[in-house]
Amino acid sequence: MDAYTIEKKDMKILLKRFQEDYKVFGPIKPGLESKFDEIKSIEQLHLDYISTVLPPKKFFHPPKEAMFSYKIEKGRFTSKEIKQNEKILIIGIHPCDVYALLKLDKLFSGDFKDPYYQNRRKNCVIVALNCVKPSEYSFCSSMNTGPFLDKGYDILLTDIGTKYLIELGTKTGEKLIEGLNLKKATKDNYHEKKRRLETSKKKIKKSMDALKISRIAQKNLHHEVWFDLGECGGVAGSLPCLSCGSCTFVCPTCYCYDVYDTVDFSLKSGTRNRELDSCQLLEYGEVAHGGNFRKDRKDRIRHWMLCKFGVAAGGSNSSCVGCGRCIRVCPSKIDITAVAKAIGGG
Amino acid sequence: MNKKPKMAIFKFTGCAGCQLEFLHLEDEFLDLLDLFDIRYWKMIKRDNDEKEWDISLVEGGISTPREIEEIKQIRKKTKFLVAFGDCAIGGCIPSIRNWTPQMEVEDYVYPDTSSIHSMKVTGIGEYVKVDEILKGCPPHRDTLIELFKSALLKIRPRLRKHSVCVECKFNDNECLLTSKKMACMGPVISAGCGAICPTLGRVCEGCFGPMSNPNAAALAEIFKDMGLNDKDIKRKFRKYAGMSPEFRMEAGH
Ligand code: SF4
Ligand code: SF4
Ligand code: SF4
Repeated sequence: MDAYTIEKKDMKILLKRFQEDYKVFGPIKPGLESKFDEIKSIEQLHLDYISTVLPPKKFFHPPKEAMFSYKIEKGRFTSKEIKQNEKILIIGIHPCDVYALLKLDKLFSGDFKDPYYQNRRKNCVIVALNCVKPSEYSFCSSMNTGPFLDKGYDILLTDIGTKYLIELGTKTGEKLIEGLNLKKATKDNYHEKKRRLETSKKKIKKSMDALKISRIAQKNLHHEVWFDLGECGGVAGSLPCLSCGSCTFVCPTCYCYDVYDTVDFSLKSGTRNRELDSCQLLEYGEVAHGGNFRKDRKDRIRHWMLCKFGVAAGGSNSSCVGCGRCIRVCPSKIDITAVAKAIGGG
Repeated sequence: MNKKPKMAIFKFTGCAGCQLEFLHLEDEFLDLLDLFDIRYWKMIKRDNDEKEWDISLVEGGISTPREIEEIKQIRKKTKFLVAFGDCAIGGCIPSIRNWTPQMEVEDYVYPDTSSIHSMKVTGIGEYVKVDEILKGCPPHRDTLIELFKSALLKIRPRLRKHSVCVECKFNDNECLLTSKKMACMGPVISAGCGAICPTLGRVCEGCFGPMSNPNAAALAEIFKDMGLNDKDIKRKFRKYAGMSPEFRMEAGH
């Protein structure tokens, strides 16, 4: 497909076009603590951001959502699906977060189809942004999920100085820029993209052996790091885990959720909801009569890391995309790449 | 139609804020009157009957020998006893005085202490069996409503006791502890408030008490690394739940 360029100062033209058909979301602050929110005018858009607190997962698998309402009338039970049909466009998603969505797609479209997720996903256009400023916490290059993207986008932007290079990934993307009279990309533009990819890669400091880690973790289920992480000592200068759960909620590939009902005072109608859950929390492993599969903190943090290393529910592929959010957000400074190294999977 | 469950609300050593939170349910309060028969509630009723109740909500901790007798009586007459708020659970703010000698505390407040019969403040669970706890200073209205509905449906209420950080993340907040180096209690405190304080840029003070299985020692260590002195750290853990087994060490027992 053809590629184009747009001057940075002309980005408002692109935004205006997007807004004709979609509610547009993008990073609203610079830096590491940015946030995806609605973009009404170009001044709000900060494509120079580094990372966000919550990943774009929140648009597709939100922290809380009502799935359906129900009622019992004259002994008859009826329910009504709560559908989300808003058409949205997200601009500025970094490669790691796009890869995370591709992983979630696999999960929610596999043997068990998740209509809520699929519906939201179908109604969303992805305008991705290659990452020229990886954070000090990133290790996407180890996980093959960045810093530049090769799939999963409708439109892909790359910062090449005073311009963005615009590459198109789908018909939707092509249609969106139709008639804007953008300049065709030149060889030089591509050359600049390549150069930026190389410098971006060099900025990445952390690493993990994505190929080996699953096998190594499997062999180290009783390694002392799990005790150090759960109870005392910590690993590589960290403190032990607090079980606060922050790492899982900011993780773009953590998908676990809890389902519960909210009943009205009539006790005859209500809604069924779901809310993100976390295997780091004590209640997660709780079953009837107070039993609990993972009472100890060390078992919980081990379970979480194993899932990220590709040993638990996520299957043999690592479900980590190296975005680094869990490292940045951990009050105890627990670093998943340091743990991987400690068990021999660096 | 079943008979409405009989309810009673009691107050011991506390500030009456939990009872007020109940009253502040406002719209839902009228719905509740249709569903429960409130038989005893001195704050709002002139006539109170002292027979038996299906569900009793107890606010406040126990701080005098007379209160011990009373809570035992209430337990005898109650099918389902709820420790309503942090004072009833573990003494909460009134229990801060447990770290000062009794005589000294009494002298702060009363010119003549001869009629004072006060002891260390504890939660009601020290003396009677408690069937459910509603965390918070005061508990959040949503948890109250959840408790009442579950009681009617005879199911276990969904009262999550995980960290405040969970709710903080749900609000997409940047973390005050990791990005602003502010001494937030969120990682060891039970959720339920919706992370109101961190969402407004203020640290969690800890008013919902310890979360399930908190790692208080690690958070105290983090505070120390941030430059807080021992005294400040102790104060932080003492403030709302110093008597709890989870915070005992850090509160300086
Ligand atoms: S485990 Fe950490 S680095 Fe990996 S995807 Fe999740 S938040 Fe990002
Ligand atoms: S963010 Fe850190 S302290 Fe909190 S649960 Fe995750 S690993 Fe543990
Ligand atoms: S601001 Fe406080 S409550 Fe929020 S995530 Fe950070 S430590 Fe937890």
